Amino acid sequence: MLSCETLTHRYPHTGQALRDVSFRIQAGEFVCLLGQSGCGKSTLLRLLAGLERPTTGQIDRRTENIAMVFQSPSLMPWADVFDNVYLPLRLAGQSRSQARPVIDEMLAAVRLPDSHHSKPAQLSGGMSMRVALARALVTRPTLLLMDEPFAHMDEITRLSLQTLVHDLWRAQNFTALMVTHSPFEAGFLSTRTLVMTPKPGTIYRAQTIDLPAERTDQVRHDPAYGKICSQLLELVAYRADS
Amino acid sequence: MAWMSARPLRPGLSIKAVGFSQRLMRRIIPVLGGLVLLGVWQYGAANTPSYILPSPGDILARFIENPALWARAWLTTVSVALLALLAAIILGSSAALLMSLSRTLEHLIYPYAVTLQVTPVVAIAPLILIYVDSPLVAQTLCAWIVAFFPILANTLVGLRSADRNLEDVFTLYHATLRQRMILLRGPASLPHAMTGVRIAGGLSLIGAVVAEMVAGGGGFGLAFLMVESSYRLDIPAMGVSLLLIAATGIAFHLILAVLSRRLLQGWHESAQDNVQDGVQDSEHNHATHHHSTAPRG
Repeated sequence: MLSCETLTHRYPHTGQALRDVSFRIQAGEFVCLLGQSGCGKSTLLRLLAGLERPTTGQIDRRTENIAMVFQSPSLMPWADVFDNVYLPLRLAGQSRSQARPVIDEMLAAVRLPDSHHSKPAQLSGGMSMRVALARALVTRPTLLLMDEPFAHMDEITRLSLQTLVHDLWRAQNFTALMVTHSPFEAGFLSTRTLVMTPKPGTIYRAQTIDLPAERTDQVRHDPAYGKICSQLLELVAYRADS
Repeated sequence: MAWMSARPLRPGLSIKAVGFSQRLMRRIIPVLGGLVLLGVWQYGAANTPSYILPSPGDILARFIENPALWARAWLTTVSVALLALLAAIILGSSAALLMSLSRTLEHLIYPYAVTLQVTPVVAIAPLILIYVDSPLVAQTLCAWIVAFFPILANTLVGLRSADRNLEDVFTLYHATLRQRMILLRGPASLPHAMTGVRIAGGLSLIGAVVAEMVAGGGGFGLAFLMVESSYRLDIPAMGVSLLLIAATGIAFHLILAVLSRRLLQGWHESAQDNVQDGVQDSEHNHATHHHSTAPRG
């Protein structure tokens, strides 16, 4: 689905962000990129999305149908929820009436069935993020990239959004790559977690998450989940100290 | 308004009722103040010849003598100001659009736009009046010069202020430049552009008045009547001109404030409900838009 080889990236002013990053993602995987703040995770995601070019190295994308969710919902504040979700289809030339059934379905899937005409300013942070998810998924992407989408959410909202993303991933069979700095999030969501070193970041460990395919809230109380989280925590923290 | 916060809320008075009475007070107090001032003025001017200090009654009488004359003059000045504002909106936003697309064009146009802005219009007006035959066109051109820059500068900032992530979303879905302009940068620029239009609204009237004063005839607007009355020491007529110009300025300001709020309602902070009055609104706006261009006379 997606692979990259010996990627490096250097910014003109802030120096080297990534060095020698190589990995491969299979279709249907849910991969988390775990690392401390400023280790180049977001840069890596932007390179993979094609929003920036790597300084050196190769990226092989097997799909052009990519969607992205950012750290902030980044909705258009002047447009209502329907028009925000409609945006990708509108850019692709679909009419409003053509798009309506898909948008209705998507808003129901993110559990916002009755908010079509609300403006983003009227929504809570969690609701806005669900609209952003609906906007990303409305084109039925094969690859969904997420850049710490729940970093600014409160704990309860974060947990419910994690469950939602997991359910959507199970239901719609896209491949997911999520950047996060939370070992607990990575442990709950991913099938495999790639741990990055501090800046200039590179992947130094790939950890397969050995939990049942379906992750319900029960998993959070599972001792196996706790063990995985403490392993991941140790991996991130260890590299930060050394 | 310190008196409001200094007084504790009366028990049993709901927040909503307090909000309403505060709003009412905000409207009533300036009106009361104005009435008191008029009273003092009328009383004070009673024993002074009207060619030194006309009373409000003298001014009103001068207006009632020939309302058609004043209406015609008002229409002339307002047409010049509105035409200039319209031209400034069209040309200012078009120039901003082009400059936002090309750094070369920006480097080419911007210094001259600034030069046009910093040169006092009083200094340019006599030249324009010489080169342009029609006084109305010349006056409109003068008013346009002062109204153009705030719209250009603010719209340009607005066009560049769209959410970076949204720009990325448009890139990801291979949006055309046209789609990006219409669906993203255009709406995103609106709050800044409206600040520019509101500043330009006041300036266009100032420009029209200055041009009429320099032109000294041909347009027969309010400012021309004012200059002409001053030659005859007809102070009450000068008062009528002045009050009509001031009232027109206030009307411009309020209309543009309401329009701006309508356009931005529901999504931009400057159009929130708790910011009610036109005057308050504009202060708020100027304070929040640090990069907006301050008015220059």
